[in-house]
Amino acid sequence: MPDERLDLPQGTLDLLILKALSLGPQHGWAISERLHQVSRATLQVPQGSLYPALHRLERRGWIAAEWQPSENNRRAKYYALTRTGERQLRTETEDWRRLTATVDLILGMR
Amino acid sequence: MLAELWSDLRYRARALFRRARMDQELEEELHFHLDRETEALVARGLPRAEAMRQARIAFGGAAQVREASREGRGLVLLEQLGQDLRYTLRTLGRAPAFTAAVVLTLGLGLGANAAMFGVVDRLLFRSPPFLHAPERTHRVYLASMDRSEEGVDVMAGYTRYLDLRRGTTTLAGLAAVSYRPLPVGTGLEAEELPVGAVSASLFDFFDATPALGRFFTAQEDTVPLGAMVAVLGHGFWQARYGGRPDVLGQAIQVGTGTYTIIGVAPKGFVGTAEDTPPVLFVPITAYAGTFRAGPNVSSYYTRYNWSWLAIVAQRKPGVSAEQATADLTRAYRESWGAELALSGSGPGVELARPRVILGPPQEERGPRRSTVAQVATWVSGVAAVVLLVASANVGNLLLARALRRRREMALRLALGVGRARLARQLLTESLVLSLLGCGAGLLVAQWGGALLGSLFLPPGTGGGALTDARTLGFGVGAALVAGTLAGLAPILQTRRTDLTEALKAGAREGGPQRSRLRTGLLLLQAGLSVVLLVGAGLFVRSLLNVRALRLGYDVEPVLYVYPNLRGARLDSAQSTALRLRLVEAARAVPGVEGAAQGLTVPFWDTWADDLFVEGIDSVARLGSFTLQAGSPDYFRVAGTRILRGRGFSEEDRQGAPPVVVVSQTMARTLWPGQEALGKCLRMAKPDAPCLSVVGIAEDIKQNSLTADGGRHYYLPIAQYHPEAAVLFARSRGAAVELAETLRRHLQPLMPGDAYVTVTPMADIVGPGMRSWQLGATMFVAFGGLALLLVGVGLYAVIAYDVAQRRHELGVRVALGARRGDLLRLVIRQGVVVALSGALLGALAALWAAPWIAPLLFEQPARDPAIYLTVGAILLGVAVLASALPAWRATLADPASALRAE
Repeated sequence: MPDERLDLPQGTLDLLILKALSLGPQHGWAISERLHQVSRATLQVPQGSLYPALHRLERRGWIAAEWQPSENNRRAKYYALTRTGERQLRTETEDWRRLTATVDLILGMR
Repeated sequence: MLAELWSDLRYRARALFRRARMDQELEEELHFHLDRETEALVARGLPRAEAMRQARIAFGGAAQVREASREGRGLVLLEQLGQDLRYTLRTLGRAPAFTAAVVLTLGLGLGANAAMFGVVDRLLFRSPPFLHAPERTHRVYLASMDRSEEGVDVMAGYTRYLDLRRGTTTLAGLAAVSYRPLPVGTGLEAEELPVGAVSASLFDFFDATPALGRFFTAQEDTVPLGAMVAVLGHGFWQARYGGRPDVLGQAIQVGTGTYTIIGVAPKGFVGTAEDTPPVLFVPITAYAGTFRAGPNVSSYYTRYNWSWLAIVAQRKPGVSAEQATADLTRAYRESWGAELALSGSGPGVELARPRVILGPPQEERGPRRSTVAQVATWVSGVAAVVLLVASANVGNLLLARALRRRREMALRLALGVGRARLARQLLTESLVLSLLGCGAGLLVAQWGGALLGSLFLPPGTGGGALTDARTLGFGVGAALVAGTLAGLAPILQTRRTDLTEALKAGAREGGPQRSRLRTGLLLLQAGLSVVLLVGAGLFVRSLLNVRALRLGYDVEPVLYVYPNLRGARLDSAQSTALRLRLVEAARAVPGVEGAAQGLTVPFWDTWADDLFVEGIDSVARLGSFTLQAGSPDYFRVAGTRILRGRGFSEEDRQGAPPVVVVSQTMARTLWPGQEALGKCLRMAKPDAPCLSVVGIAEDIKQNSLTADGGRHYYLPIAQYHPEAAVLFARSRGAAVELAETLRRHLQPLMPGDAYVTVTPMADIVGPGMRSWQLGATMFVAFGGLALLLVGVGLYAVIAYDVAQRRHELGVRVALGARRGDLLRLVIRQGVVVALSGALLGALAALWAAPWIAPLLFEQPARDPAIYLTVGAILLGVAVLASALPAWRATLADPASALRAE
């Protein structure tokens, strides 16, 4: 059976995480769930690779982390978008749109 | 961007210092994820065990995630550095001989450099302590045309200083300074010590607060006579007064005046003095106002004929050096005009074109830098070359080691260690080694710096390398540069490492082309050491030439005695009588072979008078003629030979027919091709009585060892200023030891505060030879060091090669090669490298010859004898360095060598 799932292009994971967090603070598992559902299970994101990305974003100051009680009353690390993160999300979304539009344009060439 | 950087730093800092906590948080976070995933799968109906398995699969490799997360923290570099360091220390500990060789090599190279840096820094670059705005502070040089050449003066008169101060608007400060040895104290205790006579304005150049009391003010520094107050130097206060606070108000005798102590300068304050630190500072007008012995000094602030002080200027902020120069030049031209109006003779402003040159505050960096400073600059170049040789040597050792470790490296590459990581590991190793070398080097510098300081610097100004921040900084910097340079060689090698080949080849080397880099380094070393050795040869020959030079008088056994009246008032007859008594007393001192009167002493002072000779329009146009006067014993005591005619006798007394002895060159200049004896010379006036020439003396060096006209003449002192006579004494043994004895015998004869100074002639002539002495000492020391390093380097490389070629040599023996063949084979290798290096070095030395030629003494810079000698020395070292490994090669046992494979 051919695998219909897609590997993520380099660097897009960061953008997706930022987008997922723009809807509100979440912990790591919830982010991966959200990506999984929204992409209708098309995206192949090894759940583990999420965490290095989260820590990288935290180091850059685009997201901030805080330990809070989770929905099942366990301690979980919640990530939230910072002001710089919001700005970054806007510019990266913009860039992505321009990039895909350009790629579409070229692929549509005759 | 900035916010991102800040956040990054904070995160890394947290990662660094709270590592355990972050690791634990990471575990908790990952655990939480897996639990949630499992729960979700269980909720979908999977059994718990299967749900856990699925969750793990979906998660991916947990260990990799952990590693990647840590890397995300930005700590990996640091952790790897730690690993590299630990690994390095372990491997170095396992090769103590190698480590010791490297550390020692680098230590010597770095030590030589750090020590030399300390000297050059103090000589040329460091500005005086406490000086604020050194970049706006200048030494003022006065330049004017003298005939067709521009002469530059460091010294000026007080009147000139006043003119410049009045005539300028662009300066924040202008100060007059004169640092000179003056008698401090009285009686047998009287000792000549360096004293700073400075204008009160000088203190405004510094951010210095007196350790005690106060500095003197402009109101205490006024013409004609400033206040008799003194500020002690900190060191002198400690040494002479034990640092007691009650010195304020005490009196101290300095020169011809009695001063009241009003303050103590802070520790390290020397004013702008570059020589020995002054023991005390007095107002310059107080010094000049009480200096009665000199000519016309009572009018020191109105006349221009006494040049005795240096001028220091500080620009106002915002004023460029060009503006200040123009301003000062304008003032100088006006001052020149004023001097002309006063004296009525001399070249006008248009002809003399007087101008001001502003130099750095250090005199050695100005237009009048000394040969010593030039030699010091050269020697630092030499030290740098030694460091280069040492680096090449270490590079070579590292390279040999790297080759031996090729298998290890290949193995690590094969196991997936990145080449960058490997390079970093090698660099770490060489840097660790260089820092160890730096430690050794600073120890060398601490010891060698004191030695160098005593050679180059005035006493009391040098310091150890370990206590000097600038030298320390330099040493560490140089160590890092040397370490990186040396580390590059093996890194270049790893870039070429071919995995499979290296693993296949075993510990044996591939072929001769492998050692091209090492041979190149050896060539460089040999070449550089040849350059240094040629330099050493040139300077040693110069020094020998200088030493062998006949000065026209003896140096070693002669002592110069100067009676300083220090304000004691004697009439001419009393003064003459005193000097006669001194000669008698000197003759009676045990160890004194003879004593005589003179008038001047070579190198320190010069007398001249106008001369007139029949048939010559202007004697002055033929050059300058200097004079000496002496008692009948003078020629014997000084060691000046009379070539023809006679010297002086007791008959040549006052009132007797005046006579003169002239030097050989003077006789030739005035009466070319004629008999000078019996000729007539007139002094001061064309119609003065005739001095008849009774003797011809050998030429002497009067002012300089290098160039001297030698036109010198002698008058009987009884007929010429007997009241101003000085003394010369000739000792039987070493003059230096006699000096103090003689002083103690003569001092009681001096009236009042008057005193005598006794100086060995060697101390007077010595400074003139110092540059060659320094050059010879330093070039020989550093050249020898470089040669040693080359020998060690050559030995290491050849020994290593022999070890690598055991197999090949074994085969050769098996095929019937004899001992001699093997010896020749190995030694030839070393000799070829040494000779090629020598050739390159000789070319470099020939190329550099024109620059060093002016520093040599009667020695061609391209002397073939020296080049050949150096070549022979290097050849000898090469043979020696390769003989031992060659001998070992002959022991190659074919059976064991072949079996080992």
